[in-house]
Amino acid sequence: MVMSIMIYAILSTKKNPGKLNALLTGIKGVSGVGLYAISVDKIALVVCDINKADIIADKSCAIEYAGVIETLAQQFTLLPVRYGSVMESTETIKKMLERNYAEIQQNLLKVENKFEFGLKVFCDSQKIKDEIKTETESIIEPEQSSENSIYREYINKKFKEHKFEELLLAHVDEIILDITTRIAQLNPTHKFKKMVSPTNIIDAVFLLEKDKKKDCINVVNNLQNKYPGLRLILTGPWPPYNFVDITIK
Amino acid sequence: MSENKILFNTGSLDELSQEVTNLTNNEDSKLKLTPDNADSGLAKLVLTLVELIRKLVEKQAMRRVDGGLLTEEEIERLGETLMKLEMKMEELKKHFNLTDRDLNINLGPLGDLM
Repeated sequence: MVMSIMIYAILSTKKNPGKLNALLTGIKGVSGVGLYAISVDKIALVVCDINKADIIADKSCAIEYAGVIETLAQQFTLLPVRYGSVMESTETIKKMLERNYAEIQQNLLKVENKFEFGLKVFCDSQKIKDEIKTETESIIEPEQSSENSIYREYINKKFKEHKFEELLLAHVDEIILDITTRIAQLNPTHKFKKMVSPTNIIDAVFLLEKDKKKDCINVVNNLQNKYPGLRLILTGPWPPYNFVDITIK
Repeated sequence: MSENKILFNTGSLDELSQEVTNLTNNEDSKLKLTPDNADSGLAKLVLTLVELIRKLVEKQAMRRVDGGLLTEEEIERLGETLMKLEMKMEELKKHFNLTDRDLNINLGPLGDLM
Protein backbone atom coordinates (compact mmCIF):
# COMPACT_ATOMS: atom_id res chain seq x y z
CA MET A 1 0.00 0.00 0.00
CA VAL A 2 1.56 3.29 -1.15
CA MET A 3 0.59 6.22 1.03
CA SER A 4 0.24 9.72 -0.37
CA ILE A 5 -0.68 13.06 1.09
CA MET A 6 -4.00 14.71 0.21
CA ILE A 7 -4.10 18.52 0.37
CA TYR A 8 -7.22 20.35 1.61
CA ALA A 9 -6.19 23.99 1.61
CA ILE A 10 -3.31 26.43 1.59
CA LEU A 11 -3.42 28.79 4.56
CA SER A 12 -1.82 31.99 5.66
CA THR A 13 -0.58 31.55 9.23
CA LYS A 14 1.00 34.97 9.58
CA LYS A 15 -1.59 36.28 12.07
CA ASN A 16 -2.12 33.23 14.27
CA PRO A 17 0.67 30.69 13.75
CA GLY A 18 0.00 28.71 16.95
CA LYS A 19 -3.74 28.42 16.41
CA LEU A 20 -3.67 26.04 13.45
CA ASN A 21 -2.38 22.94 15.23
CA ALA A 22 -4.89 23.43 18.03
CA LEU A 23 -7.71 23.70 15.48
CA LEU A 24 -6.55 20.63 13.56
CA THR A 25 -6.67 18.41 16.62
CA GLY A 26 -10.39 19.15 16.87
CA ILE A 27 -11.42 18.35 13.28
CA LYS A 28 -11.25 15.23 11.15
CA GLY A 29 -10.69 14.84 7.43
CA VAL A 30 -12.63 12.74 4.92
CA SER A 31 -13.59 9.33 6.40
CA GLY A 32 -12.47 10.46 9.85
CA VAL A 33 -8.72 10.60 9.18
CA GLY A 34 -6.48 12.93 11.16
CA LEU A 35 -5.32 16.23 9.72
CA TYR A 36 -1.98 17.94 10.13
CA ALA A 37 -0.12 20.93 8.71
CA ILE A 38 3.01 21.19 6.59
CA SER A 39 4.48 24.69 6.81
CA VAL A 40 7.02 26.83 5.05
CA ASP A 41 7.51 30.20 6.71
CA LYS A 42 4.04 31.85 6.97
CA ILE A 43 2.21 29.46 4.68
CA ALA A 44 0.81 26.09 5.73
CA LEU A 45 -0.88 23.28 3.87
CA VAL A 46 -3.57 21.31 5.69
CA VAL A 47 -3.21 17.67 4.68
CA CYS A 48 -3.95 14.08 5.61
CA ASP A 49 -2.22 10.80 4.79
CA ILE A 50 -4.18 8.66 2.38
CA ASN A 51 -3.85 5.60 0.22
CA LYS A 52 -4.35 6.88 -3.34
CA ALA A 53 -6.63 3.95 -4.11
CA ASP A 54 -8.94 5.05 -1.28
CA ILE A 55 -9.77 8.40 -2.87
CA ILE A 56 -13.33 8.01 -4.06
CA ALA A 57 -14.83 10.51 -6.49
CA ASP A 58 -18.07 10.46 -4.58
CA LYS A 59 -20.45 13.27 -3.62
CA SER A 60 -20.50 12.58 0.13
CA CYS A 61 -16.66 12.55 0.30
CA ALA A 62 -16.52 15.83 -1.63
CA ILE A 63 -19.04 17.36 0.80
CA GLU A 64 -17.01 16.17 3.81
CA TYR A 65 -13.90 17.62 2.18
CA ALA A 66 -15.66 20.95 1.58
CA GLY A 67 -16.79 20.91 5.23
CA VAL A 68 -13.17 20.80 6.39
CA ILE A 69 -12.27 23.74 4.15
CA GLU A 70 -15.31 25.62 5.44
CA THR A 71 -14.25 25.13 9.07
CA LEU A 72 -10.71 26.28 8.33
CA ALA A 73 -11.99 29.30 6.37
CA GLN A 74 -13.84 30.56 9.46
CA GLN A 75 -10.51 31.22 11.15
CA PHE A 76 -7.86 31.50 8.46
CA THR A 77 -7.35 33.18 5.12
CA LEU A 78 -7.04 30.26 2.75
CA LEU A 79 -6.94 29.02 -0.81
CA PRO A 80 -9.14 25.92 -1.23
CA VAL A 81 -7.56 23.02 -3.11
CA ARG A 82 -9.50 20.74 -5.47
CA TYR A 83 -10.73 17.46 -3.92
CA GLY A 84 -8.36 14.60 -4.71
CA SER A 85 -5.19 16.70 -5.01
CA VAL A 86 -2.36 14.51 -3.75
CA MET A 87 1.41 14.68 -3.55
CA GLU A 88 3.87 11.94 -2.75
CA SER A 89 5.68 13.20 0.35
CA THR A 90 6.23 16.04 2.80
CA GLU A 91 9.47 16.81 0.99
CA THR A 92 7.77 17.28 -2.42
CA ILE A 93 5.11 19.46 -0.81
CA LYS A 94 7.71 21.69 0.84
CA LYS A 95 9.60 22.03 -2.44
CA MET A 96 6.38 22.91 -4.26
CA LEU A 97 5.57 25.52 -1.60
CA GLU A 98 9.02 27.06 -1.92
CA ARG A 99 8.82 27.19 -5.72
CA ASN A 100 5.39 28.85 -5.68
CA TYR A 101 5.70 30.89 -2.50
CA ALA A 102 5.40 34.35 -4.06
CA GLU A 103 2.40 33.46 -6.19
CA ILE A 104 0.62 31.79 -3.27
CA GLN A 105 1.29 34.82 -1.05
CA GLN A 106 -0.12 37.09 -3.75
CA ASN A 107 -3.32 35.02 -3.97
CA LEU A 108 -3.67 34.86 -0.19
CA LEU A 109 -3.36 38.61 -0.06
CA LYS A 110 -6.09 38.95 -2.70
CA VAL A 111 -8.58 36.89 -0.66
CA GLU A 112 -7.55 38.12 2.79
CA ASN A 113 -10.53 38.89 5.02
CA LYS A 114 -12.89 38.09 2.14
CA PHE A 115 -15.51 35.49 1.35
CA GLU A 116 -17.08 34.38 -1.89
CA PHE A 117 -20.80 34.87 -2.60
CA GLY A 118 -22.69 33.25 -5.43
CA LEU A 119 -25.58 34.80 -7.32
CA LYS A 120 -27.67 32.74 -9.69
CA VAL A 121 -30.34 34.38 -11.81
CA PHE A 122 -33.04 32.08 -13.11
CA CYS A 123 -35.79 32.87 -15.57
CA ASP A 124 -37.85 31.28 -18.22
CA SER A 125 -35.77 32.36 -21.22
CA GLN A 126 -38.54 31.23 -23.57
CA LYS A 127 -40.86 33.69 -21.80
CA ILE A 128 -38.32 36.51 -22.22
CA LYS A 129 -37.89 35.50 -25.86
CA ASP A 130 -41.65 35.68 -26.37
CA GLU A 131 -41.74 39.15 -24.76
CA ILE A 132 -38.87 40.36 -26.94
CA LYS A 133 -40.56 38.81 -29.94
CA THR A 134 -43.77 40.70 -29.30
CA GLU A 135 -41.93 43.96 -28.71
CA THR A 136 -39.68 43.73 -31.73
CA GLU A 137 -41.59 41.66 -34.28
CA SER A 138 -41.76 44.47 -36.80
CA ILE A 139 -38.19 45.64 -36.27
CA ILE A 140 -36.54 42.35 -37.07
CA GLU A 141 -38.82 41.20 -39.83
CA PRO A 142 -36.46 40.20 -42.66
CA GLU A 143 -37.04 41.38 -46.20
CA GLN A 144 -39.96 39.66 -47.81
CA SER A 145 -40.95 39.30 -51.40
CA SER A 146 -44.29 38.04 -52.61
CA GLU A 147 -42.79 34.90 -54.12
CA ASN A 148 -40.47 33.57 -51.43
CA SER A 149 -38.97 30.16 -52.15
CA ILE A 150 -38.76 27.54 -49.39
CA TYR A 151 -35.05 28.38 -49.06
CA ARG A 152 -35.73 32.06 -48.59
CA GLU A 153 -38.45 31.21 -46.06
CA TYR A 154 -35.95 28.99 -44.25
CA ILE A 155 -33.38 31.80 -44.11
CA ASN A 156 -36.05 34.21 -42.84
CA LYS A 157 -36.97 31.81 -40.04
CA LYS A 158 -33.32 31.28 -39.06
CA PHE A 159 -32.65 35.01 -39.27
CA LYS A 160 -35.49 35.75 -36.86
CA GLU A 161 -34.18 33.14 -34.40
CA HIS A 162 -30.71 34.67 -34.71
CA LYS A 163 -32.01 38.17 -33.95
CA PHE A 164 -34.01 36.92 -30.96
CA GLU A 165 -30.87 35.24 -29.59
CA GLU A 166 -28.95 38.50 -30.02
CA LEU A 167 -31.68 40.48 -28.26
CA LEU A 168 -31.87 37.96 -25.44
CA LEU A 169 -28.11 38.21 -24.88
CA ALA A 170 -28.32 42.01 -24.98
CA HIS A 171 -31.09 41.83 -22.36
CA VAL A 172 -28.92 39.59 -20.14
CA ASP A 173 -26.01 42.03 -20.62
CA GLU A 174 -28.25 44.87 -19.43
CA ILE A 175 -29.10 42.92 -16.27
CA ILE A 176 -25.41 42.14 -15.68
CA LEU A 177 -24.56 45.81 -16.08
CA ASP A 178 -27.27 46.69 -13.58
CA ILE A 179 -25.95 44.12 -11.09
CA THR A 180 -22.33 45.30 -11.45
CA THR A 181 -23.35 48.95 -11.11
CA ARG A 182 -25.35 48.33 -7.94
CA ILE A 183 -22.80 46.03 -6.37
CA ALA A 184 -19.84 48.28 -7.29
CA GLN A 185 -20.34 50.19 -4.01
CA LEU A 186 -19.22 47.01 -2.20
CA ASN A 187 -16.01 47.00 -4.23
CA PRO A 188 -16.06 43.33 -5.16
CA THR A 189 -14.06 41.24 -7.57
CA HIS A 190 -16.56 39.44 -9.73
CA LYS A 191 -16.94 36.84 -12.44
CA PHE A 192 -20.01 36.32 -14.62
CA LYS A 193 -21.18 33.44 -16.79
CA LYS A 194 -24.08 34.02 -19.16
CA MET A 195 -26.71 31.54 -20.33
CA VAL A 196 -25.43 28.57 -18.35
CA SER A 197 -28.69 26.84 -19.25
CA PRO A 198 -31.98 27.99 -20.79
CA THR A 199 -33.23 28.86 -17.29
CA ASN A 200 -30.02 29.91 -15.51
CA ILE A 201 -29.28 33.10 -17.43
CA ILE A 202 -26.59 34.45 -15.08
CA ASP A 203 -24.20 32.66 -12.75
CA ALA A 204 -22.05 35.16 -10.89
CA VAL A 205 -19.53 34.99 -8.07
CA PHE A 206 -18.34 37.92 -5.97
CA LEU A 207 -15.37 38.20 -3.67
CA LEU A 208 -16.40 40.55 -0.88
CA GLU A 209 -15.06 41.65 2.46
CA LYS A 210 -16.52 39.50 5.23
CA ASP A 211 -18.48 42.36 6.81
CA LYS A 212 -20.29 43.21 3.54
CA LYS A 213 -22.68 40.25 3.72
CA LYS A 214 -25.71 42.31 4.76
CA ASP A 215 -25.03 44.97 2.12
CA CYS A 216 -24.81 42.25 -0.49
CA ILE A 217 -28.19 40.82 0.57
CA ASN A 218 -29.69 44.34 0.33
CA VAL A 219 -28.36 44.82 -3.19
CA VAL A 220 -29.84 41.49 -4.28
CA ASN A 221 -33.14 42.32 -2.60
CA ASN A 222 -33.34 45.60 -4.54
CA LEU A 223 -32.49 43.82 -7.77
CA GLN A 224 -35.20 41.26 -7.15
CA ASN A 225 -37.72 44.09 -6.66
CA LYS A 226 -36.64 45.62 -9.95
CA TYR A 227 -36.89 42.33 -11.88
CA PRO A 228 -39.93 40.48 -10.52
CA GLY A 229 -39.91 38.15 -13.54
CA LEU A 230 -36.51 36.80 -12.56
CA ARG A 231 -35.56 34.63 -9.61
CA LEU A 232 -32.39 35.63 -7.80
CA ILE A 233 -30.63 33.28 -5.42
CA LEU A 234 -27.72 34.48 -3.31
CA THR A 235 -25.56 31.96 -1.48
CA GLY A 236 -22.55 32.18 0.78
CA PRO A 237 -20.33 32.96 2.45
CA TRP A 238 -18.03 30.44 0.73
CA PRO A 239 -14.28 29.98 0.76
CA PRO A 240 -12.86 31.70 -2.36
CA TYR A 241 -13.25 28.70 -4.70
CA ASN A 242 -13.47 30.80 -7.86
CA PHE A 243 -10.78 33.34 -7.12
CA VAL A 244 -7.62 31.25 -6.86
CA ASP A 245 -5.41 31.91 -9.81
CA ILE A 246 -2.21 29.90 -9.52
CA THR A 247 -0.39 27.74 -12.01
CA ILE A 248 1.61 25.43 -9.78
CA LYS A 249 5.20 25.14 -10.94
CA MET B 1 -26.11 23.00 -0.16
CA SER B 2 -27.11 23.59 3.45
CA GLU B 3 -30.02 25.95 4.08
CA ASN B 4 -27.90 28.39 6.08
CA LYS B 5 -25.87 29.07 2.95
CA ILE B 6 -28.89 30.48 1.14
CA LEU B 7 -28.88 34.18 1.92
CA PHE B 8 -31.62 35.24 -0.45
CA ASN B 9 -34.23 33.19 -2.27
CA THR B 10 -37.77 34.22 -3.08
CA GLY B 11 -39.03 30.77 -4.07
CA SER B 12 -39.39 27.52 -2.18
CA LEU B 13 -36.45 25.27 -1.37
CA ASP B 14 -37.98 22.51 -3.46
CA GLU B 15 -37.96 24.75 -6.52
CA LEU B 16 -34.36 25.70 -5.82
CA SER B 17 -33.41 22.08 -5.39
CA GLN B 18 -35.06 21.29 -8.74
CA GLU B 19 -33.17 24.11 -10.50
CA VAL B 20 -29.85 22.93 -9.09
CA THR B 21 -30.61 19.33 -10.03
CA ASN B 22 -31.36 20.43 -13.58
CA LEU B 23 -28.00 22.18 -13.72
CA THR B 24 -25.91 19.41 -12.26
CA ASN B 25 -27.63 16.18 -13.17
CA ASN B 26 -27.66 16.26 -16.93
CA GLU B 27 -26.90 12.56 -17.37
CA ASP B 28 -27.97 12.44 -21.03
CA SER B 29 -25.38 15.01 -21.95
CA LYS B 30 -22.40 13.03 -20.66
CA LEU B 31 -20.21 10.98 -22.93
CA LYS B 32 -20.14 7.44 -21.59
CA LEU B 33 -17.70 5.47 -23.70
CA THR B 34 -17.36 1.82 -22.67
CA PRO B 35 -16.20 -1.29 -24.58
CA ASP B 36 -19.87 -2.24 -25.04
CA ASN B 37 -21.02 1.01 -26.59
CA ALA B 38 -17.92 2.13 -28.51
CA ASP B 39 -19.94 2.51 -31.76
CA SER B 40 -22.80 4.61 -30.42
CA GLY B 41 -20.48 6.53 -28.08
CA LEU B 42 -18.22 7.45 -30.98
CA ALA B 43 -21.22 8.39 -33.14
CA LYS B 44 -22.42 10.69 -30.36
CA LEU B 45 -19.01 12.32 -30.07
CA VAL B 46 -18.62 12.80 -33.83
CA LEU B 47 -22.17 14.07 -34.34
CA THR B 48 -21.73 16.48 -31.44
CA LEU B 49 -18.73 18.02 -33.18
CA VAL B 50 -20.50 18.09 -36.54
CA GLU B 51 -23.54 19.76 -34.94
CA LEU B 52 -21.35 22.34 -33.21
CA ILE B 53 -19.64 23.22 -36.51
CA ARG B 54 -23.00 23.30 -38.33
CA LYS B 55 -24.38 25.75 -35.78
CA LEU B 56 -21.27 27.93 -36.03
CA VAL B 57 -21.61 27.98 -39.82
CA GLU B 58 -25.29 28.89 -39.44
CA LYS B 59 -24.47 31.74 -37.03
CA GLN B 60 -21.81 33.11 -39.34
CA ALA B 61 -24.23 32.90 -42.26
CA MET B 62 -26.84 34.86 -40.31
CA ARG B 63 -24.27 37.54 -39.55
CA ARG B 64 -23.61 37.85 -43.28
CA VAL B 65 -27.33 38.09 -44.02
CA ASP B 66 -27.60 40.70 -41.27
CA GLY B 67 -24.71 42.63 -42.81
CA GLY B 68 -26.83 43.08 -45.95
CA LEU B 69 -23.96 42.24 -48.27
CA LEU B 70 -25.48 39.16 -49.90
CA THR B 71 -27.47 39.20 -53.12
CA GLU B 72 -30.89 37.55 -53.32
CA GLU B 73 -29.32 34.70 -55.30
CA GLU B 74 -26.62 34.16 -52.68
CA ILE B 75 -29.24 34.14 -49.91
CA GLU B 76 -31.24 31.52 -51.83
CA ARG B 77 -28.17 29.30 -52.18
CA LEU B 78 -27.28 29.81 -48.53
CA GLY B 79 -30.82 28.85 -47.53
CA GLU B 80 -30.69 25.71 -49.65
CA THR B 81 -27.32 24.67 -48.20
CA LEU B 82 -28.27 25.29 -44.58
CA MET B 83 -31.62 23.57 -44.97
CA LYS B 84 -30.03 20.50 -46.52
CA LEU B 85 -27.37 20.40 -43.80
CA GLU B 86 -30.05 20.51 -41.12
CA MET B 87 -32.08 17.79 -42.83
CA LYS B 88 -29.00 15.57 -43.17
CA MET B 89 -28.20 16.12 -39.52
CA GLU B 90 -31.75 15.11 -38.54
CA GLU B 91 -31.34 11.93 -40.60
CA LEU B 92 -28.07 11.07 -38.86
CA LYS B 93 -29.53 11.73 -35.41
CA LYS B 94 -32.45 9.45 -36.22
CA HIS B 95 -30.13 6.76 -37.56
CA PHE B 96 -28.07 6.72 -34.35
CA ASN B 97 -31.11 7.23 -32.14
CA LEU B 98 -29.85 10.52 -30.72
CA THR B 99 -31.70 13.67 -29.67
CA ASP B 100 -30.63 17.33 -29.54
CA ARG B 101 -30.13 16.93 -25.80
CA ASP B 102 -27.71 14.04 -26.36
CA LEU B 103 -25.56 16.24 -28.57
CA ASN B 104 -25.35 19.10 -26.10
CA ILE B 105 -22.46 17.79 -24.04
CA ASN B 106 -22.14 19.13 -20.52
CA LEU B 107 -18.70 20.61 -19.98
CA GLY B 108 -18.97 20.75 -16.19
CA PRO B 109 -18.08 24.19 -14.83
CA LEU B 110 -18.09 25.63 -18.34
CA GLY B 111 -21.77 24.79 -18.81
CA ASP B 112 -23.32 23.14 -21.85
CA LEU B 113 -21.47 23.00 -25.17
CA MET B 114 -24.28 24.64 -27.17
